[in-house]
Amino acid sequence: MERTIEFVLNGETKKVTVNDNQTLLEVLREKLDLTGTKKGCNQGECGACTVLLDGKPINSCLTLAVRIEGRSIMTIEGVAGKESLDPVQETFNEKGAIQCGFCTPGMVLTTKALLAENSNPTSAEIKEAISGNICRCSGYIKIIEAIQSLAEEQEVM
Amino acid sequence: MAAYKYIGKDIPRVDGPVKATGKAVYTVDVKLPGMLYGKFLRSPHPHARILKIDTAKAEKFPGVHDVLTGQDLHDVRYAFVDTPRYPADEQPLAVDKVRYIGDEVAVVVADSEAIAEKALMLIEVEYEILPAVFTAEKAMEPDAPVIHDEQVKGKSFWEDWGVAQGKKGRATKYDDTPKVNNLSGRTFVSFGDVEQGFLKSDYIREDSFSLKATAHCQMEPHAAVASYDHVTQKLNVWLSTMGVFLKRYFLSKTLNIPPSKIRVHHTYVGGAFGGKIDLFPYEFCAAYLSIKLGRPVKIELDREEVFMTTRQRHPLTVNIKSGVKKNGKILAQDIKVIADNGGYRGSGPVVIFLCHGFSFPIYDVPNYRYEGFSIYTNNSIRGPQRGHGAPQIRFSIDSHIDLIARDLGLDPVQMMLKNVRHEGDVLPNGDRLDSCGLTEGLHGAANAIGWNTKRNQSKNGSKNERLKRGVGISLCAMFSGAMYYPFASAAIVKLHDDGSATLFTGAQDIGQGSYTTLSQVLAEELGVDLQDIHVVAGDTELCPIDLGSFLSATALVTGNAVKLAAADAKRQLLECALEILEVDSIEKLDTESKKIFLKKDPQKSITFSQAIQASVFKRNGDPIVGKGSYKGYPRTDRYPSLAKAKGLFTGAYGFAAQAAEVEIDTLTGEVRLVKAVTYHDCGYPLNKNIVEGQLHGCVSMGAGQTLSEEVFLENGQMFNPSFLSYRLPLSLDTPESVEGLVNTIEPSGPFGAKEVGEGAVAGILGAIANAVHDAIGVRIKELPITPEKILRALGKI
Repeated sequence: MERTIEFVLNGETKKVTVNDNQTLLEVLREKLDLTGTKKGCNQGECGACTVLLDGKPINSCLTLAVRIEGRSIMTIEGVAGKESLDPVQETFNEKGAIQCGFCTPGMVLTTKALLAENSNPTSAEIKEAISGNICRCSGYIKIIEAIQSLAEEQEVM
Repeated sequence: MAAYKYIGKDIPRVDGPVKATGKAVYTVDVKLPGMLYGKFLRSPHPHARILKIDTAKAEKFPGVHDVLTGQDLHDVRYAFVDTPRYPADEQPLAVDKVRYIGDEVAVVVADSEAIAEKALMLIEVEYEILPAVFTAEKAMEPDAPVIHDEQVKGKSFWEDWGVAQGKKGRATKYDDTPKVNNLSGRTFVSFGDVEQGFLKSDYIREDSFSLKATAHCQMEPHAAVASYDHVTQKLNVWLSTMGVFLKRYFLSKTLNIPPSKIRVHHTYVGGAFGGKIDLFPYEFCAAYLSIKLGRPVKIELDREEVFMTTRQRHPLTVNIKSGVKKNGKILAQDIKVIADNGGYRGSGPVVIFLCHGFSFPIYDVPNYRYEGFSIYTNNSIRGPQRGHGAPQIRFSIDSHIDLIARDLGLDPVQMMLKNVRHEGDVLPNGDRLDSCGLTEGLHGAANAIGWNTKRNQSKNGSKNERLKRGVGISLCAMFSGAMYYPFASAAIVKLHDDGSATLFTGAQDIGQGSYTTLSQVLAEELGVDLQDIHVVAGDTELCPIDLGSFLSATALVTGNAVKLAAADAKRQLLECALEILEVDSIEKLDTESKKIFLKKDPQKSITFSQAIQASVFKRNGDPIVGKGSYKGYPRTDRYPSLAKAKGLFTGAYGFAAQAAEVEIDTLTGEVRLVKAVTYHDCGYPLNKNIVEGQLHGCVSMGAGQTLSEEVFLENGQMFNPSFLSYRLPLSLDTPESVEGLVNTIEPSGPFGAKEVGEGAVAGILGAIANAVHDAIGVRIKELPITPEKILRALGKI
């Protein structure tokens, strides 16, 4: 059955008609053409489709679109400012934490959620936080280092 | 050492921002107006004859536009290996038989994937189930079911390029091939006198090793979009691939349309690792259906299909016998390799050739014999995967060397040092090691892991009875490109009014950072800043030919082409500046930051803009375009013989020494990689940050395949086609990592650079296995080293 839902997407209110059985990932990629959110496995295992639901990272491939009625979603398209990258994006690039880039949107959003909750995570906490986001290119080392350096920056500030 | 402005600098990736913001377009993101979606019906049987297919109901299903079966495409054949000796054995849809679970039987194209999937269930297939075989050893037996009994005339796309070997490309006689069943390829090579070598040896040891199939796990699933324009008769395709020109050639051959009528468009590639270079049925069918229906067609595989029906790494058994002197010098080595390439040949004959190619550059063995078999079974198809044979052969050889050193009471590092090759060595096939950092790498890796203090620590009275630590070391080698289609890379540098440059390269950035390193080469050679470079890449229409991002060709081969194109543009700029700057030789001029200046008086200068303007006015409108090209291996015109391992292989070998420290929980059998060390000789590193990224990825993949990764197959059925059950490394598995660079200068490389992206996946396997032996005194010869195998070896279960 089709129904119209209203939610906040990257700061703007959106009204979309969706099917009951459509996932948030399908709606983002296919209805709204926001292809920055990636479909890696469609089984909730790889984290490439991570978006923030009211600030918390979720797998959009496991979330039915009808469930986000009245709630707030942030996708990778909402992370950077008009003029500049978000510090997480900037640091990921500077520290070499991006290779093929397919996991990057999800990894960036998971990092944003982690740092919002815990401004100075330990290495173990970082590894735990991104353990649901698979990266085959980097061996995670430069991603962990990038997040560590962001934590240090926040500490200085 | 030369002072460079861009080369060797940790410059962030040029494609970082577009990827970090989600704006990078991958093939899976391509959506065209009026696009249709394809889905495959796949064989549920490992080996069966197709008696009848009824597609009538599926064709009538609302929203379905077409259904194809093998009968529609019965004359189409292709394969990764397509030579007179090894004629192509794949077809886009099974014609007479299915040969593995997942083999494509029919394709439905519909308004949506959901409709296509529903229609698939309406196709009725009648099979006659045939006896199947699931291990290479069983498949070789005389009474084993024969998987390929079709007769196919030998042909080769390489012949079109006038480089065929033997008598006008016909398969040469090869009578010494042993008669075994289901043989898909054989490599045999020997030098010296192996039997004499064994006779002169003080000690002989023989070991067998085996490795399971593993998966690439590219994060972006395999996908293709095709859109045929009937007006211009042009086929436009978007493919997640490592080599746009090779794919274009495959499509041209199979669709029987000229290469110039096919355009492979650029997309970013969400990981490849070797698994996106073969032509796949989904690519051919998307293109064929788009031509037939006049509509764009997209086929995207789901994760299960990626695991089961694209490519896997070859499961391999390796038998090695070595004869050595008491002091550890290897006198003779006899190696036998059997690879299971699954239901189709895939890269079987290549992997058995490369196991030799990555064996013989490391140790100087005077008497050597190598025989490799690739064998058909009814398992999933195996193809290239990062290192392509190197992990399997390096694990086996260096586990074996470690065992011999233990037997003789020698330090394995000392034994390796005694046998490694050196700069200046000429390999038995004629390849020259103009750079070789094996010795320095071994010293570096041994030091960094704490070899002398940490080795034998459990024997020397470990404090912890339950947790045991050990260290191990291994070596690896990798090509830097080779001679395969299109046999060269070329590059074009176009200058703009403002003096900035656009680089046109057919190379594809698959995540390894080639757009960045190639930009650095261009910036350094031409004398422009990095922000003044724009890269147009991976597009067969806009860009000149390129070997593609496999066999680690990009840094050396494409890098040289870019450097020459930049030098060509620079020379033209300088010639235009002669008159304006009133000098008589371009030798007196140099460039930096889009300026041309006198070497003696840098204040006296003009801008690139001025020189370009002068060129347009005085040289009949010439806006200055630089071009450069470089052969896959300038010393030869031929591809090496896969069967006889004759001919030159590669212009430069990358080397690495890798060490590991492990901790083993003797109660649970779990092995934790504590520390991984890689000393890579990649020549002069173009970008250290990117080099480190490559090494980290290699180590992670190698460690995964040593400790946890395994495609579980039972009667041809994969039991773990998901990230939950296929255990690849997660962030929690990340070890402490040390990367040391052995800075050699490769004379043939651009600014001294050579391979870096593949070799280091291979040494970590043996390093870990040797470290496990050091920690608990048992040898695991079958990867992966699971807790169960540890506990069994310790006699606890």
